[in-house]
Amino acid sequence: MADTLTDKTSARTWRAPRLTLRRREAIEAWLFVSPTVAGFLLFFLGPLVAVVYFSLTEWNLLTQEATFVGVKNYVDALSQNPDFWHVLRNSFVFAIGLVPLNMSLALTLALALSRPFRGVVFFRTVFFAPVVTSAVAWAIVWRFLLQGEGGAVNQLLAIVGIGGPNWLREPDWAMVAVIVTRVIKMVGLNMILYIAALQAIPRDYEAAARLEGASNWQIFRMVIWPLLAPTTLVIFVITMIGSFKVFDHIYLMTGGGPENGTLVLAFYIYEQGFKFFNVGYASALAMIMFVIVLVLTVIQMTLRRKDMR
Amino acid sequence: MNLRRKILAASTILSLAAMSAPVLAEELRFTVWTGGEAHLRMLNEIAESFKVTHPDVTVRFETIPAADYTQKLTFQLAGGNPPDLGWMMEDAAPTFAAAGVLMDLGPTLREAEGYDFADYSQPALGLWTDGEAVYGVPFSTSPFMIFYNKTLFDEAGLEDPLQLAASGKWNMDTFQEVARTIKEKTGKWGFEFKDGQGYESRIMHALMPPIRAYGGDVWANGECGFDKPEAVQAVQQLHDMVFKDKSIVPPGEQGDYFSGSSAMTMNQISRASKMPEAGFEWGIAPLPSGPAGESPVIGQAAIVVFERGEQKELAAEFVAHMTNKENVAKMAQFFPPARKSVLESEAFTSANAIIPPEQMAHVSDAIEKGKVLPSHEKSPQILAAMAPRVDALWKADADVKQALDGVCAAIEPLL
Repeated sequence: MADTLTDKTSARTWRAPRLTLRRREAIEAWLFVSPTVAGFLLFFLGPLVAVVYFSLTEWNLLTQEATFVGVKNYVDALSQNPDFWHVLRNSFVFAIGLVPLNMSLALTLALALSRPFRGVVFFRTVFFAPVVTSAVAWAIVWRFLLQGEGGAVNQLLAIVGIGGPNWLREPDWAMVAVIVTRVIKMVGLNMILYIAALQAIPRDYEAAARLEGASNWQIFRMVIWPLLAPTTLVIFVITMIGSFKVFDHIYLMTGGGPENGTLVLAFYIYEQGFKFFNVGYASALAMIMFVIVLVLTVIQMTLRRKDMR
Repeated sequence: MNLRRKILAASTILSLAAMSAPVLAEELRFTVWTGGEAHLRMLNEIAESFKVTHPDVTVRFETIPAADYTQKLTFQLAGGNPPDLGWMMEDAAPTFAAAGVLMDLGPTLREAEGYDFADYSQPALGLWTDGEAVYGVPFSTSPFMIFYNKTLFDEAGLEDPLQLAASGKWNMDTFQEVARTIKEKTGKWGFEFKDGQGYESRIMHALMPPIRAYGGDVWANGECGFDKPEAVQAVQQLHDMVFKDKSIVPPGEQGDYFSGSSAMTMNQISRASKMPEAGFEWGIAPLPSGPAGESPVIGQAAIVVFERGEQKELAAEFVAHMTNKENVAKMAQFFPPARKSVLESEAFTSANAIIPPEQMAHVSDAIEKGKVLPSHEKSPQILAAMAPRVDALWKADADVKQALDGVCAAIEPLL
């Protein structure tokens, strides 16, 4: 023992076998991921658990008084509060309007812009630029464009003889307006994902199909679309989750109005929590939203798995 | 010996620490909603003058835009990071006072030398006091005035509101008439609601003045007033102006008074600081009178100290400094005072750098006769419940009475 301690080289050779390569790699790996894991625990899992607890309390943000009330907040939301179902309906309308529009537009643009041609970079930039534009600037500009009488959109419509509505002041049209402006803002992201997926498909497949006499539509339907399936799934899930979580866009464009026509779940949670200071109730609503998104995601993934088989 | 030396050393360190403690610089954080350069310069001057008695105290003013002010303040309070002091709007006062987050400034103010608390007008303090307790000191008791674009009135060949007021003809009917004429003759909007937000965050500012001019009220003693005949008449007139005359900037449209797109708007004199750069001739006039005579409406804001702040005693001393006679007189150019001595002084009407005395006289008059905007412990809930019903009102084919019945149905359970 004393010998090994005095002799450094032998100490090293004596120690080394204690850690197998596998173990050492595991430790290194943990060290590498530990900053992220710490962040995850501190800033994600911690608050998530806290929200579950908050949702079981009646907690006034301003007075800081909290009382444990069990599932009362959930019962209130689901059975006592007519606003909740209206808000939920709005959230679904928003998602059902936004997801297909966003995805089909993203795919169309990607198909057009995935092959190199003169100016392709310019067009890709044009469609991607809104993604990196400030949401505030985006909303302010659109609020100007969508004015009832003086708005550019309605003036353009007037040229072709259409009397446009007062977009942001009529509940149904306001919903259409927030969906479409949101799609234009975010479509570039999905377009890039689709372009990447399209470029990963070997050109031989298409060439082979063409030799077999397949039409463009057949090539798309039988070759490209199935190969895009994993990407489509990812895009679907993130777009849907994003559409349920939409907040800034609503806050800036309509503030949930008119007549609560664009009052979606995330915005309603914000109102309950930070305008009326009912943090407990807001947390319960947030948990309900979490479950909805989770269920939709699981359904989609299961369907896709079956489909693949 | 050794022990004695240790004790000596320790006591020296302690006494040094005790001596040096007051010498350590302290900072008070003060939230405000103005970002105006002129306002901030004045506030910083007041903070600077506090150094005469408190050489090591600095005051940092933090601007939070008005639209999110109350929410952001709440976040800071809830997050355990309260500012030491802050401005507070009248509609937030009851909620915050009831939640017990505001410090009672009464003892500090009554003891402050030369402060003369009794100089504050009792009606102006109403919202901020509860028995002996004082939860805020109003620094701005500012009536809503009509700001008009003289250039546009001249262009349309009209007498301006100030002239009409002088000849006793400035009422809700002439208000509607001139707005319509402006629209017809100049193509510009006749009137814009306060800051163009009358359909959204400033519903109360849009509806309240005409309703009071007609002798109604939005609510009183737990009863909704929107569905009473006076309120219906008043709102019907506004509705006609928006949709029949098309003289008020309609919902969803942007018409900025300050850039010359509207001939009139309603605002407080603190906004006059924006006027010198507006590029047109302008003036301020009282609100048009109605069947109930003159009924000015006052928006109020106070300085409060937060109970959970760590330096609340020091903060209270700063309030006493900021709202003494000298500083209230200084602030009066932007923020009309609640101190009788300042309000009645010649200096208030004649010393304003931007607004001529004859117009300032109307401001004093309005402060004297006016009533503060309504407020309620549940203001945020009431406003949120009202908002969708008021949206339904602002449609061309809306039945005003029916829409206002809807407003009452929505807010009555909360009153």
